[in-house]
Amino acid sequence: MKKVAIVGIGHGKFGVRSDASLRELIFEAVKACLDDAGLSLKEVDSMVTGVAGDEFSFGIQPSAQVHDYIGFHPRANFRVEGACATGSVALRTGWMTIASGLADLVLVAGVEKMTEVPTSMATEIMGRAGDATWEYPFGTTFPGYYAMIANAHMAEHGTTEEQLARVAVKNHYYGSLNPYAQMQKEITLDKAMTSFTVAYPLKLYDCSLITDGAAAILLASEERAKAISKKPVWIAGLGCGTDSMRLGDRKSLTSLQATREAAKTAYKMAGVGPSDIDVATVHDCFTIAEVIAYEDLGFCEKGEGGKLIEAKETYVGGRIPVNVDGGLKSKGHPLGATGVSMAIEISKQLREEAGPRQVKDAEIGLTHNVGGSGQLSLIHIFRRE
Amino acid sequence: MEFKNFSLFINQTKVGRFADELAGGKIMSTLCKKCGKQYYPPQADCPSCMGSDMEWKEIKAEGKLLTFTKIHVPPEHFAVRQPLMPFSSVQFEPCPVGIIEVEKGLPVMGWIPKMDVKKIKVGMRMKASPLTLPDGKITIVLEAI
Repeated sequence: MKKVAIVGIGHGKFGVRSDASLRELIFEAVKACLDDAGLSLKEVDSMVTGVAGDEFSFGIQPSAQVHDYIGFHPRANFRVEGACATGSVALRTGWMTIASGLADLVLVAGVEKMTEVPTSMATEIMGRAGDATWEYPFGTTFPGYYAMIANAHMAEHGTTEEQLARVAVKNHYYGSLNPYAQMQKEITLDKAMTSFTVAYPLKLYDCSLITDGAAAILLASEERAKAISKKPVWIAGLGCGTDSMRLGDRKSLTSLQATREAAKTAYKMAGVGPSDIDVATVHDCFTIAEVIAYEDLGFCEKGEGGKLIEAKETYVGGRIPVNVDGGLKSKGHPLGATGVSMAIEISKQLREEAGPRQVKDAEIGLTHNVGGSGQLSLIHIFRRE
Repeated sequence: MEFKNFSLFINQTKVGRFADELAGGKIMSTLCKKCGKQYYPPQADCPSCMGSDMEWKEIKAEGKLLTFTKIHVPPEHFAVRQPLMPFSSVQFEPCPVGIIEVEKGLPVMGWIPKMDVKKIKVGMRMKASPLTLPDGKITIVLEAI
């Protein structure tokens, strides 16, 4: 198996991008990525495009829009999908392409254009990503699924609404320091606690955002990586796990089996454990999801996630800094781009280019990206040289 | 009875009888004749033994509440009043939903129209019953027992 590294990163501005279409968004990210790597698109062998929803973008071949607009054809490019973990599915596919020897230089691009449709329709599209036959007839939405997970976690472990709000306060603080974030403003605990209820007990500030945005990374085989980049970021471990479609069928409502499975595989492959991770981006589509991720990734014991944020251990300077790019909560969550954006943040951290958000001496980083309400989870572990 | 009177969107399935039974007052599961595994929601196929010879069995729909929520920002289908959101016409506000665990671990989802969300507690005993709405749609409701 060949070693694979990230040798280029390009992040577009996340937000309500009513100024740009899907293909125009991805152009920004691809151009920035190639500039970072110091290469032209002509040198790239193959491409993977991550887009989660056809219904947001009114087209069932988003990858064709992409390779057409950036002028990549006739080389290989196709679209992959894994709901909210689509970006990480694209990264994993890119890794496979190189590790298998099919190509040496692979562009991995993720994009979502979500605000072209009204918010209620975006909510509906995402709500149907649960079980459209057996859950949706009860009016379920994405916040609804995570609200049910939150109520179960609160009943079992005594997690409080205030602890959840503290996750939002942290992620907004770091979002305020990230120029690519959708919401670049801090919030107070009081503001988070008094915002309106979206799905009880989750309030507005417990929820991530509906976002337009794109992100791209360039992956290279070992020989090429060393020639291209002074600071290649090596993919040391990959993990992927799954769980049932319906919440009610899960063995646990307070833990994501998919994440536990993915973590076990990724830690083993990388030869590291939770205490070796210096910085992580986790899937905080809702504040409760970040708290559960702390537990499922082994950053704290089961049921102690609320206390970990309360003690500020997931801030820079704490035991394990998490989502210091603002997370999905404040940076935004353009479904197909999110996993790629996570890998970009970890690359910046390991390259020591994260500016005011830099975690000192970060050598090993982790990304955790969840599809749906936990039907799919992908984890990647990265190392610097 | 069309299955989408229950499911709203999906109409073509091998377990369409579920909707007929629900309209007749019964919440049905399927049972694998070969290995005995029971499915709710009902399945036409058994991944446990890969068999497809199933029989219908009514469930005893009482059990503990696993979790719940009340969705204040509904999806578009429920946000517009046509078709009617269940109970919205009488309550003028969203209705809580929950999942109870019945028999040997079967999860039954339903609306909880008669309770204030702040009084609902994980673990409370509830029963599930079919309900036909004024527009002909059929659904399931949960109530405390």
